[in-house]
Amino acid sequence: MGRTSRPLLRYLLRKILFLIVTYVIATTIVFILPRAIPGNPLAQILSRLSQLSISNPEAISAVNRTLMKEFGLGKPWYVQYIDFVSKALRGDLGTSITFYPRKVIDLIVPVIPWTLVLLLPATITAWILGNTLGAIAAYRRNTWVDKGILTSSLIVSQIPYYWLGMILIFFFGVKLEILPAQGAYSQGTIPSWDLNFFIDALKHYILPFSSIVISAMGGWAIGTRLLVIYELGSDYALFSEYLGMSDKKVFRYVFRNSLLPQVTGLALSLGSALGGALITEIVFNYPGTGYLLFRALTSLDYPLIQGIFVILIASIYIANFLVDFMYALIDPRIRLGQED
Amino acid sequence: MKRVIFLVLLVVLSAALIAQVTLPRNETVYVIGALWGPATTWNLYAPQSTYGTDQFLYIPLFMYNIGKDAWLPLIGESYEFVDDKTIRIKIRDEAKWNDGVPITAHDVVYTLELTKKLGIGPSTGWWDYIEYVKAIDDKTVEFKANEENLNYFMFLSYSLGAEPMPKHVYSKLEEEGVNIKDWRNDDPEKQVVSGPYKLFHSDPNMVAYVRIDNWWGKDIFGLPRPKYIANVIYKDNPSANLAFERGDADWAGTFIPSVWELWTKKKQPIGTWFDESPYYMPDGVVLLYINYTKHPLNDRNIRKAIAYAIPYKDMLKKAYFGYSPQGHPSMVIDLFEPYKQWIDFDLARKTWGTEDGKVPTDLEMANKILDEAGFKRGKDGIRVAPDGTRLGPYTISVPYGWTDWMMMCEMIAKNLREIGIDVKTEFPDYSVWWDRLIKGNFDFVISWSAGPGFDHPFNVYRFVMDSRLTGPVGEAFPAGDWERYHNDEVIELLNTAVSSLDPEQRKKAYYRIQEIVYRDLPGIVLFYGAHWYEYNEKVWTNWPNAKNPWWYPAAPWHLNALPVTFGIHRVGEVKEVPKWLETVEEGGSLIPTSKIMADLQSTLK
Repeated sequence: MGRTSRPLLRYLLRKILFLIVTYVIATTIVFILPRAIPGNPLAQILSRLSQLSISNPEAISAVNRTLMKEFGLGKPWYVQYIDFVSKALRGDLGTSITFYPRKVIDLIVPVIPWTLVLLLPATITAWILGNTLGAIAAYRRNTWVDKGILTSSLIVSQIPYYWLGMILIFFFGVKLEILPAQGAYSQGTIPSWDLNFFIDALKHYILPFSSIVISAMGGWAIGTRLLVIYELGSDYALFSEYLGMSDKKVFRYVFRNSLLPQVTGLALSLGSALGGALITEIVFNYPGTGYLLFRALTSLDYPLIQGIFVILIASIYIANFLVDFMYALIDPRIRLGQED
Repeated sequence: MKRVIFLVLLVVLSAALIAQVTLPRNETVYVIGALWGPATTWNLYAPQSTYGTDQFLYIPLFMYNIGKDAWLPLIGESYEFVDDKTIRIKIRDEAKWNDGVPITAHDVVYTLELTKKLGIGPSTGWWDYIEYVKAIDDKTVEFKANEENLNYFMFLSYSLGAEPMPKHVYSKLEEEGVNIKDWRNDDPEKQVVSGPYKLFHSDPNMVAYVRIDNWWGKDIFGLPRPKYIANVIYKDNPSANLAFERGDADWAGTFIPSVWELWTKKKQPIGTWFDESPYYMPDGVVLLYINYTKHPLNDRNIRKAIAYAIPYKDMLKKAYFGYSPQGHPSMVIDLFEPYKQWIDFDLARKTWGTEDGKVPTDLEMANKILDEAGFKRGKDGIRVAPDGTRLGPYTISVPYGWTDWMMMCEMIAKNLREIGIDVKTEFPDYSVWWDRLIKGNFDFVISWSAGPGFDHPFNVYRFVMDSRLTGPVGEAFPAGDWERYHNDEVIELLNTAVSSLDPEQRKKAYYRIQEIVYRDLPGIVLFYGAHWYEYNEKVWTNWPNAKNPWWYPAAPWHLNALPVTFGIHRVGEVKEVPKWLETVEEGGSLIPTSKIMADLQSTLK
């Protein structure tokens, strides 16, 4: 054990160090980018005051001064950056500008469950269905089954998922009117833990869920099909075949071995799930993190944009790290390879 | 495993026994076009309170009705002018906060003092125009106009329009050391309000208000008819409009393309203020602003030529669905009867050579003006100023996504290129556009100014031409005069208009300003932004409209829209519009501005 665990430990430490460095770089970029846009984060608040035609226009300038001070927008960028980092280290993501005085964290937390409830099952379903289809196609390769799956997967995977979403809304929501076109539950409903609400939410769930599953499935199917075919041509598969093992048995081994890269893919997709399927959420008016990010970006709400990315990047990194860790455990080549 | 599933099922089923909470449809008015994002706060000392706070939760002493140019006494009962610069307002004896504490003069004084202390809040900026506000007794408050910056409009609007906040709540917060601007006031149980509604529920999808059934004004005004006012948060106009079209929303304040098709083609029980073009009432005056700091765009001849080159009628028909006629070049809204006295129609006719005094679209004329002023066309057809400066490339811009305005930009740019000015369109993101606008970094923009009000047209002249509102290019000045026009005579005239109680003198000042407007064209009037207001009569009916104009402003997003909820009723029920919504002459409570002005003037005799 001693001999193997030390390289593993060293491998993991190196990974963690690398993650921390890239995390700092990534969050810095997130700090810089929105500020590089020559816009004005107070635009929404001030122009609303201006349009409501408050009787005294001087009042708008007074509010402008008060807010510039309140948000520290007049300070030099490095002071703002130090402010951001030191607060973020203490777990304080700051106050949203557009939704002032709401804390960034209070805006993000309520929408996270909606995003996870939508994306985790959808991603996993797409993964299972896609892999199964891909495997079937590979098993029956060059038959009409294979051709059918391959062609439809190719087509489906090339359809932009938001476009698919719009088509679904148009047919099922607007034309046939059998499923709700938008939202996470019926309007006027107050979310509560009961069966009616559950059923109502489920009805609203079908279209966004399907749009993600259908469009993601094709990619998985194509990948798995290739991997399985490649694996079927490997020495051990051919050898077992020559030994007279049943096709089914060979296939079972091959399928398991070719799944490994797909597991990585799944873990990464799950990691980025917190970011929400940005455009899907917008198309379906679904109250998730992606939708919130969209609002933050359009109003150039610096603290809110930063806050969402700080959490999002962290979740991707954690997923990434877990995958690396699992790999190191499963596959000795990886941790030993690091020795060179 | 089976046991786990069983347990899960048990939990789900037992939860199902609790009834689902849904607002009863026939007791709820659903609003669209007023709330577009998660709720922020229900505290008016925050920079952006949630829609409804100012409309339904807190009400002013007197509320202004644009349609009748009159004031509705709400918390205030009556007023009295001590002299021509001092007003005393009597607060109703019945007026109480919903926790039973009486609303007093001390609340009003405290509210304004707190605003001054925080630099933000109800009546922001009052200190420029009001010398002091003090309580004479518990139910009488006195305002004194600032004689050094005498402005009767601001004096009346800050005194009559004052909106008291509960002193006993805010002073306690101050004692506790709470940062007032950060206070959310989001606990429905603890909200202390003066209006007939308070918060019922709020989540990222919806904000709903519930009627206070023992509201203090019940015996004076009755109660508003809807029990709930709910705002579902939609992502954009099309999705909100879809809900409205289906009857899932009742009261709308959104832009709807070809709105008439909703009742002519789709046969929905939907209406707007007018049942034919222009469908909407006019709101703000929308202008083409041309940067005054850019040479040679500040040349009067170029400005005049541009005014002639704009395809007003064509553009309003194609891009704006005919929702507004061409605006009057005087910057005075010519659709409200009381405002017409301020327009020098003879001057307009003489200047622009048309019957209605509006600027004609005349490219030949535009070319002639530029030719005569010595702007010669170069090889590429673009003109060059006498000093050799090429006219362009310039940009004309509006925010991305404002499709109607974007199309107008295209049409204007095309005509300007035809008369030899090189203009391209540019549609940046809203926050970028706004930043350039207030910093003066633009060539041409289409943007709003002020709208109807008892101080019209002073408010528009001030917004467009008062250089006291602006400063150097590159620094942010959001309040007005974005094109950076400067003219001391205009400032002088504006001061005369607001510090005089004599309508004739005010008229003279406005007439002179119009001569300057036509000469310098600080902004070119295009049209009147529509007062977006639509209603669906599937559940609620008797909405105010041109045939039955019992209250205007009628749009849900307007600060003075509360009375609408007192006059609508459920389909099938027959209820009358309350008598108090009529003017004093008709036996109601509304006091015309002219009466207030006359009372003020009578103190001088």
